[in-house]
Amino acid sequence: MNHANKPPVGLLGFCIPAMEAMDSIGRPFVSVVPPEFEPYMQENGLEYVTWDFERVNEKSIQLADDLRAKGVELAIPLYEQTVEWAGALNGEFRNDRKLFTRYLLFRDKAMMKRRAQMYGIRVGVFEEADDRDAVRKFFKRVNTAAVKVDGDIEDPIHLKPLDAAGCKGHRMIRALADIDEIRDDEFPCLLETHLQGQEFSCEVFVHNGKVRFLNITEYVHLGHSNFVPASPALEERRPLIQKAVEELISAFEIQYGMIHPEFFITPDNVISFGEVAARVPGGHIFELIEKAYGFNPFVAFALAADPSTTDAEFEEFFPKIGEHKEFAGCLMVYPRKRVVTRVDVPERLLEDDYYEKHNLFVPANPKVAEREAFGDHYGTVYFRGDDCERMRDLLRDYEEVDFYDSDTPQQEQVTA
Amino acid sequence: MTDVGTEAGQLPKTDAHASGDLVDRLGAKLDTMLDKLGEAKPFAKSTYQTDVFQTSELMLSSDNGIRALYERAHRFDDVGLFASGAWADAAKLQPPLVEGSLKAHGVYPIVEILSDLRMLAIASGKQNHPEVSAADATNFLQEVMALNLQFVFPGDTEQERIEGGPHYESSLRLFRLLSDELGLSFIREYVVAEIRQIIAQRPIMTGRVRTMIRMAARTPDSNGDDTISGRLSELTEAIDGPSTLCKQATTLAEYRKLLQQCEKSTLRDEAEQFATTVSKTGLVAPQHAILLRYLATKEPDIIPEALSLDDYGAAEFEGQIEFARQLVKAAIFPTTAQCILGFARVLERGLLSRQEVSVGLERLVDLDLQPDIRRSLLAQRSRHDGVTANSILLAGALSVLGQPLGVGQGRNPTCQAARGISLWSQYAPAYLIELVVSAARDGVVEIPFEGQTVRSDKAVVEMGRSLDLNLDPVSVVLVPHLDRIYEQMMKLVALRNEDGHKWVNPALYGRWVARGFSSVFADVALTTISGYEDFVRRFFATHHPSFNEGHSLMYPNPVGLCITNGHGDYLGPHAVSLQRVSEGPDGKLRIYFFNPNNEGRQDWGHDVKPSIADNGELEGESSLPFNQFVSRLYAFHYNPYEVGDAYAVPDAVVNEIQKEASDTWGRAFQWM
Repeated sequence: MNHANKPPVGLLGFCIPAMEAMDSIGRPFVSVVPPEFEPYMQENGLEYVTWDFERVNEKSIQLADDLRAKGVELAIPLYEQTVEWAGALNGEFRNDRKLFTRYLLFRDKAMMKRRAQMYGIRVGVFEEADDRDAVRKFFKRVNTAAVKVDGDIEDPIHLKPLDAAGCKGHRMIRALADIDEIRDDEFPCLLETHLQGQEFSCEVFVHNGKVRFLNITEYVHLGHSNFVPASPALEERRPLIQKAVEELISAFEIQYGMIHPEFFITPDNVISFGEVAARVPGGHIFELIEKAYGFNPFVAFALAADPSTTDAEFEEFFPKIGEHKEFAGCLMVYPRKRVVTRVDVPERLLEDDYYEKHNLFVPANPKVAEREAFGDHYGTVYFRGDDCERMRDLLRDYEEVDFYDSDTPQQEQVTA
Repeated sequence: MTDVGTEAGQLPKTDAHASGDLVDRLGAKLDTMLDKLGEAKPFAKSTYQTDVFQTSELMLSSDNGIRALYERAHRFDDVGLFASGAWADAAKLQPPLVEGSLKAHGVYPIVEILSDLRMLAIASGKQNHPEVSAADATNFLQEVMALNLQFVFPGDTEQERIEGGPHYESSLRLFRLLSDELGLSFIREYVVAEIRQIIAQRPIMTGRVRTMIRMAARTPDSNGDDTISGRLSELTEAIDGPSTLCKQATTLAEYRKLLQQCEKSTLRDEAEQFATTVSKTGLVAPQHAILLRYLATKEPDIIPEALSLDDYGAAEFEGQIEFARQLVKAAIFPTTAQCILGFARVLERGLLSRQEVSVGLERLVDLDLQPDIRRSLLAQRSRHDGVTANSILLAGALSVLGQPLGVGQGRNPTCQAARGISLWSQYAPAYLIELVVSAARDGVVEIPFEGQTVRSDKAVVEMGRSLDLNLDPVSVVLVPHLDRIYEQMMKLVALRNEDGHKWVNPALYGRWVARGFSSVFADVALTTISGYEDFVRRFFATHHPSFNEGHSLMYPNPVGLCITNGHGDYLGPHAVSLQRVSEGPDGKLRIYFFNPNNEGRQDWGHDVKPSIADNGELEGESSLPFNQFVSRLYAFHYNPYEVGDAYAVPDAVVNEIQKEASDTWGRAFQWM
């Protein structure tokens, strides 16, 4: 593959691994970064355009012109906030006005669900809510429909912000009392019923509407641990999963790029759609994919996003399914105490041959931030090995370990 | 932990020897990570550095682990382990910053230790560095060791452990390795020199220097240098008790008992021995307080000798003997003994004869203190010895009034407040006490500003930055208030078009500050320098005796300096007081100034090194040759009616100063 002769890729967001991936194949790139990264880009002699993704105004078309001036004909979204920008830019580059609107679907979780439902994809019952009363009403209705009587444990519902990445702001409401804790700034939001089954995500590289590579990531515990590729128990249902993915692709009219949907599957193979993103997934999944399969998923993203990539290029690039090198997993670690001053890593972990590395440091601020969502974990422990059952056991075991400890008593320090 | 101690028996965790197997495994991982880091493009290094830092952290938890790291340290620079961070350039590192990094949270202590291992690799010749020679690296590490004796000779107290930060054990391991590789013989000489530099300035706060003396006393005396040993034992005696009777008594109570059995001549001997030590070292032993208290009751006429008062001080003591005896009883205890030096100077300044001062001091004796002030003051003691907060405050007032240039800002960015306290102590002692009373009793300080009153009551103070209250008692009471008043005043002038200090300095410090003001900064954001030549000429015309028509300085001038590091890189603005301009012993003109940051040996780069002794400095003063001082100056006050002949300053002098400024701190700014 000769990447050096291709036009530069526009990378939306400051992301070192993405730049590194382009650099490794010799593909020119222009990063679109928030202004605070300008010194870094200059210092390292990297091509860039600065842009404030938070602000949309009549000058937004300027970004397309700036990128075009640098020869860019393709934009790749790296973060949630850049997804609609990628839609707008690629729509502009390809002269396809609808592309932007389609990308907007990815940014509104209620709209996303409705679209899926319209196309006959199985989803939970959902509703948008503007205030706590709406949440109460939804919770009661769901539980009435579930024919609960007094004393039964109520069915939980889920609350998610409409436009945040992944699990950010995700709340589970188990009882009416939980509803009082919702802050005003969490509205409007999406409410949905709890879906039964095992949760997993897919990382799908789509080109010309076709699935070019489908990875299944098995969630051991949502927001805490996952591994790639999925265990045989899940992998053997790959045909069903691929079918669900293809339905999604056609429902959302996805042509190029990658999507990261989440599904639930029951033991009797009923698949429900959770949500879908059109950007690099969280949970270190790209790192895990690279370790497990040996290809760089950022490069894969760029290939899939580029209409000019040929079938032969995909053939050469992606491994065959089942040809993974090993299982790669990670455990995301959250402090449990309010103040942490020490990291305790059990020696048996370091000596485990599945243990790869971790990045748990004593945090600069010993006071632990109130946890808002999954994804803001303090550190990660990485594992790799041949046996997915052992992998799962390790991830489960070490989730019980309290890595962050404290030398100070767990109460507010009184300052003199 | 399963395998600890397989090689070295059942050692406790602290000096653990990890299983060789584990160290090997981690070492192999580290090698792979270093390879990867080495292959990464410069812009991507940071993503790979973390892996190395983390694995290194694991290796730092054993003695053989840190050795294994050291074996790889010569690679660190090559692969870019420190690229684009504060540790990137070994030539720019500064020994005084090492301690802070080691005690920090987060990844910093690990990076610091790895950087020091790199330095050790350079020192031992395992690595060649284009800018740092083996000798440079050795000097760097020796200075680091001398500045961190608590790690070299750990006392193993809980306090050291807590203050040492989360990586205390790893830091200890680093210093053990450094001691093994570099030896310890140089330390005594180094530290004793450092201590002498500090005490030459006669700081009011002597806790750190006392710790250093005790640490140095723990060091082995391997090269048998008699001068150093002599000096060290003199210092140790100064804090442990230098007199004959001190050496006989093992406790303070015993010392008191011995005094009661003494004849007058023995008391005189004791007095003389204490007085000599204090004159030499500026350090006061706790027994000195016991002696003074005893003399105040039984033999007050020996007190002038015990304080080694000059004639003026002795006469003042005679005249104010009753009040002086009361002060001894109320303020001077073993805990507060260091204030004896200040007390002697208060007598020599004749302050007790000034009624407003004596009334103020009397008021401190039974002042009702705010509870938080009482707590902070009592927290200064190391043991519960029955001393009251009022005694501590009174002792503190004696120290500040006696040693105006001994005031320090401690670890706080509050040079403004320290400068104010020093200035008032010199020229408005009663006003200073009035402020202390107001803050300590009423919890508020009020200072007028352009027709309104700027207040710092409790709520206002609580909103301020958190301060390290390891300060002298007067500063403990006043600094939180002064800092907030300063901040509020700066806010009030924030929208004006010039550096706000023009208005804030005269308002904050009072009528001693001249109204004229000159700054190199054209804008209030302090980003653009303009009119530099005018600035330099005006300073000469107002401060240089050859050009200012003989108007010598009346009061200290609060000036702003741009502080630079040893490489001349800009670090930040800093407030000092210009005390006087006069010729040094070599006949060359020098500027003598008060630097509230208590740093003895400083190096501001390009050979600009403020000295604190041997160039005609009074105790507590720093000094620089006139032109060197000007080259770091960015703002000063002057009396507009006393401006001399600016045009007469030779162009060559102005150009030379401008070049020096633009080559150092000026590099950080735009020049117009």
